[in-house]
Amino acid sequence: MDTPTTDYILSIRDVTKSFPGVRALNGVSIDVQRGTVHGVVGENGAGKSTLMKILSGVYKKDTGTIIFDGQTIETTTPHESMHRGLAIIYQELNLVSAMSVGENIFLGRFKEMKGMRGTHAKARELLDSIGCKVSTTKLVSELSVSTKQMVEISKALSFQSKLIIMDEPSTSLTNEEMTLLVKIIHQLKARGISIIYISHKLEEIFDFCDIVTVMRDGNVIDTKPKSEFTRDELITKMVGRTIENEYPQRSRNVGETLMEVKGLNTRKLHDVNFRLRKGEILGLVGLVGAGRTEIVRAIFGADRVRGHTTTINGKPVTIHNPKQAKDAGLGLIPEDRKLQGLVLPFSVEQNISMASLERFTRFGFIRKSLERGIGARQVQSLRVKTPNTRVAIKNLSGGNQQKCIVGRWLEIGPSIFIMDEPTKGIDVGAKYEIYVLMKEIAEKGGAVILISSELPEVLNMSNRVLTIYDGHITGEFEPEHVPADIIMRAALGLAGDAS
Amino acid sequence: MNRVYRLFTQQKALVAIAVIVVVMILAGGDPSRIFFSSYNLLDMLNSSTILVILGLGVTLTIIAGGCDLSIGGILVVSGILSIKLQDFMPMPLALLVAVLFGTLVGFVNGFLVVQQKTEPFIITLGVGLLLTGVAQQLSDAHPVPASNPDFMNIANGYQLGDGQFTPGHFPGIPNLVIIMVVCFIFFAWLIRYTAFGRNLYAIGGDYDVARYSGIDVIKNKWMTLVISGTMAALGGVLLSSKLNTGSAIYGDFTALVVNCGVVVGGTSFAGGVGGIWQSVLGLLLFGLLDNAMNVLNIPSWYQMMLKGTVIVAILWLDSYTQKRKRELV
Amino acid sequence: MNKIGSFLKDYLVFVMILGLALVTAIIQPKFISPANLVNIMRQFGPLILVSLGMTFVIVGGFIDLSVAGTINLVAVVTISLIDPLGQVGALATGLVLGSICGALNAVLILTGGATTQAEALFITFGMSTVYSSVALIYSGGSTFHFWDLKAPPDIFEAIGAGSLGPLSISFVIFLFALAVLWVFHTKTAAGRAISLTGGNKTAARLSGVPTNRSIVLIYTIAGFMAAMGAIVLFSRITTAAPVIGAGFETNAILAVVVGGTTLKGGKGSVLRTVMGVLLVILLNNCLNLLGVSSYMQWAARGAILVFAIWLDNRKEVQGNQL
Repeated sequence: MDTPTTDYILSIRDVTKSFPGVRALNGVSIDVQRGTVHGVVGENGAGKSTLMKILSGVYKKDTGTIIFDGQTIETTTPHESMHRGLAIIYQELNLVSAMSVGENIFLGRFKEMKGMRGTHAKARELLDSIGCKVSTTKLVSELSVSTKQMVEISKALSFQSKLIIMDEPSTSLTNEEMTLLVKIIHQLKARGISIIYISHKLEEIFDFCDIVTVMRDGNVIDTKPKSEFTRDELITKMVGRTIENEYPQRSRNVGETLMEVKGLNTRKLHDVNFRLRKGEILGLVGLVGAGRTEIVRAIFGADRVRGHTTTINGKPVTIHNPKQAKDAGLGLIPEDRKLQGLVLPFSVEQNISMASLERFTRFGFIRKSLERGIGARQVQSLRVKTPNTRVAIKNLSGGNQQKCIVGRWLEIGPSIFIMDEPTKGIDVGAKYEIYVLMKEIAEKGGAVILISSELPEVLNMSNRVLTIYDGHITGEFEPEHVPADIIMRAALGLAGDAS
Repeated sequence: MNRVYRLFTQQKALVAIAVIVVVMILAGGDPSRIFFSSYNLLDMLNSSTILVILGLGVTLTIIAGGCDLSIGGILVVSGILSIKLQDFMPMPLALLVAVLFGTLVGFVNGFLVVQQKTEPFIITLGVGLLLTGVAQQLSDAHPVPASNPDFMNIANGYQLGDGQFTPGHFPGIPNLVIIMVVCFIFFAWLIRYTAFGRNLYAIGGDYDVARYSGIDVIKNKWMTLVISGTMAALGGVLLSSKLNTGSAIYGDFTALVVNCGVVVGGTSFAGGVGGIWQSVLGLLLFGLLDNAMNVLNIPSWYQMMLKGTVIVAILWLDSYTQKRKRELV
Repeated sequence: MNKIGSFLKDYLVFVMILGLALVTAIIQPKFISPANLVNIMRQFGPLILVSLGMTFVIVGGFIDLSVAGTINLVAVVTISLIDPLGQVGALATGLVLGSICGALNAVLILTGGATTQAEALFITFGMSTVYSSVALIYSGGSTFHFWDLKAPPDIFEAIGAGSLGPLSISFVIFLFALAVLWVFHTKTAAGRAISLTGGNKTAARLSGVPTNRSIVLIYTIAGFMAAMGAIVLFSRITTAAPVIGAGFETNAILAVVVGGTTLKGGKGSVLRTVMGVLLVILLNNCLNLLGVSSYMQWAARGAILVFAIWLDNRKEVQGNQL
């Protein structure tokens, strides 16, 4: 190589990016040293994803310079970046699920690989090099999230990548899978590959990052070696203000049984029975795919399930569809906000009033003034940031959209509130507000069923947790008195073992 | 039990063919006379060839996550053109121009659907509607007769035989069947062993991923519509040759039947799955259905009703099995 | 400048109508003659009724190709029942039959679990062939005429040719249907439920909005309105052939989309459809006056449909960039 190798694999200088009405990046500068793991932390909306998308070529920067491996990069495409040796592993994995592992690794390079046989042979080599045993002919749709990441990493290696960016890779990994990922990260680092690791989980940042950059509101706040940061400093810099507590106090007035579910059996669930008490927040802990979402969907009548009995306040209720669930006093914040929660082209007001249509109709006719009142009331009480209630909800940020969905249900005051990943993709400030709301619902005599992939969240919010593994309830704990690792063992299906 | 269920869900076309055979036998037909006389078997293949030729191109568009409902319009316009143009130029040139017309329409479809990213179903339906109007204008809504015996011979001729059906005598292989088989082999190769073919699965499976992987998604997907348009025009020329007339009336039903046949075979509108073999089975099903109804002397209106019912039943079954897959119980 | 641009985009149809009318009036002064204007008003009947029904299907996020079959079937059945059942009985049977055809589509779509517009498109296409073939079988392929009936069907004749003051009765029927459907869509909970279903079916269902009921409702409305269209149509021409409805499905979709109701579902209005139908009728009228053959008019409609969908899509693309 003739070009003098600098210490930096990547230099970002004064990069700016604006979207209509929003300044997403404001003169951002970051240097990434060769052979290091560089952590980037920040709340949602801090500009991390925008920056990464500029690096990969999905977006174009407005101003600033980017120097990768000694070359100044003006415009690029995702494909060019990969060929240059800059690979990104996105949160939503970039694989075609109906195609095989091998074909995915060499997607778009069928010719170079000399057909199917070459493709699979090369893929096998790469997978072996990171210790992944999955068959190259298997369809990606059959793989776990963790294995898919391995496939993505293999794909990055196939391009001789010098820098791999991982965008929140741990979101849906189990602890064991996480350990494996960390092992691979160390292995890559040993090969001289630099890594940018984006996360908002501080444990991970302190665990294996060498240098940490904090971003907030489109600016880089600080870049320092990990050892010079303290946990509190990092949080303060991320949030821009000190948060006393990440979670509110647990509510204290758990009463008698509110709802009881018996004999819930489906293809995925096996004999699920549980009770929910008044004033309680009940957490469901388990891996993604363990059956947490299926349980609440079944109770809510979202999936067709027969045979179980649900009693509320001692009276048996029939719930075959969400309408009946609503009438029985249940509310659901679904897992996927965009696909299952929002009607994007509709206004904030109409999105809020969706569940309470009956409340403001007379003889089947909508009374617009009442509807407007409902919208205004919820927007005000939940402090939704929106110019007015008539703008389309797609223009709001994730946290504000989520508040609207919460408001939709608060309007009809359900006694049982089911929240499936209520804080996913929401910034810290809005998270806290949602926690307080949950607590308020419980304290007013209602109950909350909380599902979250963020273990600290469930453990700190819940009065009681049920651990779910492979469709079975494997344990019941009071997280206040039981250490987290015991709960986690149960959630991983290890509780019964006498090990 | 599970295996039976899977057979029903994955090989709908085969199952449907079996059902038709059984129904025909129950209806009193002598199976050997109906299916295994070389005449009928050939005739069935022969009558399905044009559907299959259309379906090959459509399969590519559907695998890439689109579809093409303009093929009916292209079919009739090209069919009429191929005859009308013979008045002005030598036959081979006329046929070439007629086929290239389909290529051109496919190119425009590609611009609208792929480059401008519009919903393919309704926009290609609109293009088909437009072309049917053009075909009626060209033909003045009357059949256009052809006068050239060479032209007629293209689709009605036989190789390795004289086309005479007498017992103990090999009638030869119809040209149409040969053309179909050649096209079939070409498309099967295209889709399995070329970068273009593999890219289509990636594009249909996940458009953005394919794009980020450096696949020229627009060019590839655009190409599917160009190919589909070309194949539709080829089908139109062959149809005109076979019937020795060009007419605007054949287009109405064809587009939907062909797209339906492809889906019945197992190539899903969701994109990214399916194949050439499956499409051929699905389309042969419609050929067989026609054939069976003719052998059983079912009046044409009842044939129409049965065909409609079969389309609905199969699509219903297709959706239903997918719904079952999604459900938990 | 930008404002004018966005206004043009929103009301392009309106501008096109005016432009077209102006051009035709200049080239062919006959266009603004009273006789021609009455002629235009007359044409408003069947297509607008069918299109109003189609609007609900498209707002609900689906599509219905079966209206042509429904019109064929309703026309021949209704006219053949005038003698045995009397006029009122025949009328009622026709409307009920249309609604049943629509509801049957919905039942097939729901029980099959068809979730996409594409699936609905193919299923309703299949049903259209079924309805059409039943119409052919029922009528034996022959055409029914008013003059073959035992007594002149005065109610139908009034629907076809009568007037109420300055307005034709079919125009009054249209105004009435428009008013009812507009109120239903914009002012009632059921109408809102349809829009929400079209906007995001999953989200609507999980919020307890009766989405299945909405789907049955949109197809039933489409079937009912197709039956109304069929009755006005054969009353006007005093004959009913089992192929009378051909082309109505594409014309109705054309009118709805040209009017500016998006095929993506959720957003749209019956008022926009009226504008769309007006454009389609004016287009036909202008092309007729300009001496364009009916086949080329067909082609022109196809071209406009393609253009309207393209335009609808452009709006969406630009909206997303903001």
